[in-house]
Amino acid sequence: MKKGYWFAAVLTLAFVGFGLTAFQKTLTPYLSFEEARKARGVVQVMGALDKESDRYDNKSEELSFDLLDPNGHRMQVVYRGVRPGNFKDAISIVAIGRFSQGRIEAEKLLVKCPSKYQGAEVEKAYASSPAPGKAS
Amino acid sequence: MYVWPGVIAIWSSLFAGLAAAVTYLLVDRGRKELLALARTLYTAFMVSVVASAAILMTLLLQHRFDVSYVNSYSALDLPLHYLISTFWAGQEGSFLLWCFWGSIIGLFVWRTAKEQEAPVMVVYLSTFLGIIAILCKQSPFKLLPPPAPVDGTGLNPLLQDPWMVIHPPVMFLGFASLSVPFSFAIAALWKKRWDGWITRALPWALLTFLTLGTAILMGGYWAYKTLGWGGYWGWDPVENTSLVPWLFTTALVHGMFLQRARKRHRKVNLLLACTAYAAILYGTFLTRSGVLADFSVHSFIDLGITGWLVGILGTFIGLSAVLIAWRWRSIPRTEDEEPALLSRSVFFILGIAVFCALATVILLGTSAPILTRLGGTPSQVQTTFYGKTTTPAGFLLVLLAGLVPFVGWKGETGSALFKSSRRSLVVAAVLTLAAFGLGANKPETLVLLFAAFFAADMNLRAVIRKAGNGKLGGAGGYLAHVGVGIMLAGIVVSGAYAVSQRVTLPLNVPKKLGDTTLTFLRVVPGSADRKQAMEIRVETPKEKSFYAYPKMYENTRTGQLMVNPSIRNSATMDLYIAPQQYDPGQPQVVGRDVSLKKGTTTSIDGTGFTLKDLNADRAAMMSGGNTILVLADLIITPPDGTSHDATIKYVFNLTTQEADAPEIALPGYPNAKARILAVSPNDGAAIVRLTGVSKNPNEEFQAATVESLSVDVTHKPLIALVWGGFYVMMAGGLLAFLKRAGEARRAVLEGSAREEARSESPVAPTGPVMPAHTRSPLG
Repeated sequence: MKKGYWFAAVLTLAFVGFGLTAFQKTLTPYLSFEEARKARGVVQVMGALDKESDRYDNKSEELSFDLLDPNGHRMQVVYRGVRPGNFKDAISIVAIGRFSQGRIEAEKLLVKCPSKYQGAEVEKAYASSPAPGKAS
Repeated sequence: MYVWPGVIAIWSSLFAGLAAAVTYLLVDRGRKELLALARTLYTAFMVSVVASAAILMTLLLQHRFDVSYVNSYSALDLPLHYLISTFWAGQEGSFLLWCFWGSIIGLFVWRTAKEQEAPVMVVYLSTFLGIIAILCKQSPFKLLPPPAPVDGTGLNPLLQDPWMVIHPPVMFLGFASLSVPFSFAIAALWKKRWDGWITRALPWALLTFLTLGTAILMGGYWAYKTLGWGGYWGWDPVENTSLVPWLFTTALVHGMFLQRARKRHRKVNLLLACTAYAAILYGTFLTRSGVLADFSVHSFIDLGITGWLVGILGTFIGLSAVLIAWRWRSIPRTEDEEPALLSRSVFFILGIAVFCALATVILLGTSAPILTRLGGTPSQVQTTFYGKTTTPAGFLLVLLAGLVPFVGWKGETGSALFKSSRRSLVVAAVLTLAAFGLGANKPETLVLLFAAFFAADMNLRAVIRKAGNGKLGGAGGYLAHVGVGIMLAGIVVSGAYAVSQRVTLPLNVPKKLGDTTLTFLRVVPGSADRKQAMEIRVETPKEKSFYAYPKMYENTRTGQLMVNPSIRNSATMDLYIAPQQYDPGQPQVVGRDVSLKKGTTTSIDGTGFTLKDLNADRAAMMSGGNTILVLADLIITPPDGTSHDATIKYVFNLTTQEADAPEIALPGYPNAKARILAVSPNDGAAIVRLTGVSKNPNEEFQAATVESLSVDVTHKPLIALVWGGFYVMMAGGLLAFLKRAGEARRAVLEGSAREEARSESPVAPTGPVMPAHTRSPLG
């Protein structure tokens, strides 16, 4: 039986090792706007929506808006997709994507809205088109 | 301020439970005469918990909105089934539901535990007392300060779905029944009775496998059907924290079968029973403490019970770890001949290892925000992490499931194994080629499909063979593996070959997407029993045409926009239409719409427009009763330094819900006019359409937009296999559960002494289909 255990141990370790590498590769840090400007790869930033800045281009189906952090710094976000339904009421928005050409190109938005429902979904996730969240 | 009967019931369950645990402890110390008292106290505990639940349910059914919990989740307009489900809509209620199932299961536990009754019941009770203590602190029976509200906040519209009514009770039944194997394992470590517990705890582990699995799938089906993001699994922390305990439970079930058959691997099962239970506690901590608030689609509010949860989690993990470490050397090992590498024993061990590794990796990903916070910047893993890691694990698991049916516990030669699997290899190759012919061309998909088909066919043959011998009842494991193979095929194909496109459909204009033509026809208005929906005509080459009605409506209580996709099911392909945005369109407009706020100035080409005052005319309201008159006072300051006053009128008829807003000429301009489009007196804001104020007339020209609907259209091939495979897997689990529950019952009836004796005998109750004792040359 020892052989079986050894084999299992090696397999488990190899798999967890593989998991750890994948973990490091896909980690998306929560960054301030300043850090996000310097970062490579996928990051996430959070801020309040500047309601005046929100524009939607019907032709390219591209949504563009600015996020403000508590210190008043500004970050432009573009998102290929329609404007989320509860967008205007958002308390804060989390944008997950890459920084490029002076703005975040978001793959996913988490829109946090005030809700009366304790503990239930007050947030909704939106994935950029054309691929909605795919199950694997 | 509390509802006293409820508070009394919940506190008495705490005290009765504590008293029962202490009395059981005394029984264990030799005071056998106290056993009857201990059972009575347990019954009192059970009755108190059930009474607490009954009182909360009564309050909900009676619409007692002065009770904080009722007010937070319930409302007058909920139909009965949703009213019942508000019970578990909040944290307190779902904790109570967990304890409710636990208290009832306990009645069976004491009857099956026999000579282990005292130690098992001490541990079992303690697994629920911590939660009961939380309920005493964070009571669901708190009252709101008077006056009592006439109506409640209502149930989250997303949860108003039949699947969400039954999902939590099924899930918490699984949580509660996992306390049983954990209690038996701790008692085994405590009392050094290493084998007897397996038979008695196995049905409960299988019950968790069944119920937790079903609950997970119900959640996935709900997400697919209701949320409209196109998938059934999003690797959200809430989903992961129920999947991880289920994976550990599945490992435990396999480990228990292995120990029953081989009288070995005692340590494995003791570790697994503790780990599976710890995984449930850890998941509860993650989802209820608020630690993941910024990282999940779900939001978790910290109710101030984080400290309690950490305490409970730490206690049970610490207790298990210390006991296992302390007893490690005294856990007996069976020294006899080693099985070959190609043996059922080794395959089971490998399978258990992969289940544990997979669960650990998913747990790692889910805990990323906490782990990375320790080192600095809190981070999250992308969902691709889970895809990357689960794919090889899924492949290994399904391969092992395919190899296991025709291999003996002790071993098999490579050639014998090849001989018995030849037919299935051919079947799998043919099916994989067929899939390739139908367009599955990614190498990864083909490898996974081959393994899935192989596993399904091997196990199907094993089921048929068992049924031929009249022992279908013992084929549960094989049947479950058939389901796993089918399900994996569905997951792989529907995931890798789903085609999704976003398209904007102008009203009445057919749009072609591949071979499907979609036409947006109209908005179907909602009524009392029907939500507002969009009518879309869909034409496909196979079916001439049909109408899809994805729903899109505003929740009247919250103003939230709710969206439900339309799904056209067929055996091979789901056509999934999820509405994204509806644009009612507008005619061509001349004018410039500006939003004016009281006291602020908007400047157009040098001219300032200031909203001096915005007044709702109370007198007009009093007299007429059904109209509101709003007057906006404007100050216009052209560049020449002059200043002009103007007043614009806005009359809103409450009966017809229509506004009458005349256009007035603006002083200071030759051709300028103004009209109010909308007012918000509370914010002191008005939207005013100005014409003739811009120097460039083009700036006042707003082009017409047509009425249109944006939808995501997804073709999902073979997703029916995911659900179908799951049903087969659960049918297998159910067969196994029935067989093992019968065995456990018999073991209790026969008496525990014989049970212990039987467990020492080398007879394997779940013998191989083809017993083979030939040692493999590899071994």
